[in-house]
Amino acid sequence: MLDLLKIEWLKIKKYPAFWWMLVIVFLTYPGINIMFLNIYGQVTKGKEMANNIAKLLLGNPFAFPETWHTVAYFSSFFVLLPSILVIMLVTNEYNYKTHRQNIIDGWSRSQFITSKLMDVAIISFVVMIAYIAVAIGFGIYADSLSWNRWAEQLQYIPLFYLQTFAQLSIAFLLGYLVKKAFIALGIFLFYYLIVENILVGLMKWKKIELTRFLPFEISDGILVRPAFSGNFGMGAKAGYELALSLVSQQVILTIVLTSIIWLICYKVHKKRDIV
Amino acid sequence: MEPVLSINGISKSYGQIKALKNLSLSVPKGSVFGILGPNGSGKTTMMSIILDILKADSGDYNWFGKPNLPEERKRIGSLLETPNFYHYLSAVDNLKITQAISGRGHAADIDEALEIVKLTERKKSKFSAYSLGMKQRLAIGAALLGNPEVLLLDEPTNGLDPVGIAEIRDLIKLLAKKGITIIIASHLLDEVEKICSHVAILKRGTLLTSGPVDEVLSNEDIVEIASANMEQLKDCVIQMGGYLSIKEDNQRLQIHYPIGTANMEAINSYCFNKGVTLQLLLSKKKSLETKFFELTND
Repeated sequence: MLDLLKIEWLKIKKYPAFWWMLVIVFLTYPGINIMFLNIYGQVTKGKEMANNIAKLLLGNPFAFPETWHTVAYFSSFFVLLPSILVIMLVTNEYNYKTHRQNIIDGWSRSQFITSKLMDVAIISFVVMIAYIAVAIGFGIYADSLSWNRWAEQLQYIPLFYLQTFAQLSIAFLLGYLVKKAFIALGIFLFYYLIVENILVGLMKWKKIELTRFLPFEISDGILVRPAFSGNFGMGAKAGYELALSLVSQQVILTIVLTSIIWLICYKVHKKRDIV
Repeated sequence: MEPVLSINGISKSYGQIKALKNLSLSVPKGSVFGILGPNGSGKTTMMSIILDILKADSGDYNWFGKPNLPEERKRIGSLLETPNFYHYLSAVDNLKITQAISGRGHAADIDEALEIVKLTERKKSKFSAYSLGMKQRLAIGAALLGNPEVLLLDEPTNGLDPVGIAEIRDLIKLLAKKGITIIIASHLLDEVEKICSHVAILKRGTLLTSGPVDEVLSNEDIVEIASANMEQLKDCVIQMGGYLSIKEDNQRLQIHYPIGTANMEAINSYCFNKGVTLQLLLSKKKSLETKFFELTND
């Protein structure tokens, strides 16, 4: 196991796209959170009655311990970035035919899939580190007095990891089956950005209560909207409470879906001609 | 002796096309085993199957007397079809991966392998910047890394210049002397003839013949003779009899006898007694090329 990890690291550490992804993640994660922090700042700045009410309703979503939740939620929009890398890492193997060479040199077929699973695990881990760094940074910046509450709501760290890993696994499956980087990326982006959103909209409109079982929605349900969203509008509170109550179910569903994805990869790779 | 590799009745189809038909083969330890065949005869398919890249429809194979296991594959240095490396990594970094996966050799062996294939000066360059010949050299270097017990080389001289081809030929001879078993597929028949101890010839997925080179080649004796009067000479040989066929070319007669029956002395004295003086008397072996065309031409 450790050997596989070492070998994958040999492949990744000098892959320029990996470091580019890292740079972009470390720019965009704080970026999107700063955007929302600014909006929050503008709404709550003044001394007007409205500002005070806003402050009351919003709390401070970027202070500890809410920062764990808020930053996880906003950062998870950008799972696209590491997905591109995951797809590249598997399609590269096809492109260079190293997926054959690795086997020729002495890997078993399942070791190859395990090595790719580790790629996804490594990338999810790196992304999680970025998230932790950003969440801590915002926690301190938004309200330094909240620091003593840092240890609350730490469950968002593993939840963020699980969601990232699950969604990157879908990206991997696409890259693995499609083999061509641009086609896989195209399908991934088209589905992730457009098709599933249309499906969600359509199902909500038709009042079909199955949206949370769509591939990305399953793991999206792990990280619900930040708590303050429950303070706005009619039924928002109920919606928020409902989403929150479904988290543990979504966690289980995510684990099941992700296991199925990897099982498919192992099964297919065991049988097929490696061309 | 225990064969290094034995293949038992392997068949493989791609849809309608039968790439291999019930192929059986055995490679003795320490041999230099040439696998010959026209394009599309199934050489690469066979090699891919024994490296677990392709799955056979039926049949099985053993390496070192054991059914295919990844552990067995680590003892084989292989070059299959094309040099497959990470384009963005240098030669050294690529071989580090080869070494880590196969477990063959140490860090120092990487430099040694690169030295053998003459890539030391460019060892820090990215693979993508290599020429075709250099890529092929690196692939050979990767196969050699850490002294494998068996080398499996598919068209190893692809893309190499004449000097490179000669170097590889010498290298294979050297390795064979060390007792390494070498399995080599090639179109270059005279190359194979120069270095191989055993040979197998494939055509459209069927094994036509296999065995030690001498046995495969010499199923008849060939004697080449010439004299000033060719007509008289020919009559003389026909009178003497015992031959299989006579070919006339380039002011020479090529007489084919059943194996072990050509008697040079008898031919010489028979002709002399009949008043024909020989200018030339040669015992010839059939070249691999002739044999190959004989077997593979319809």
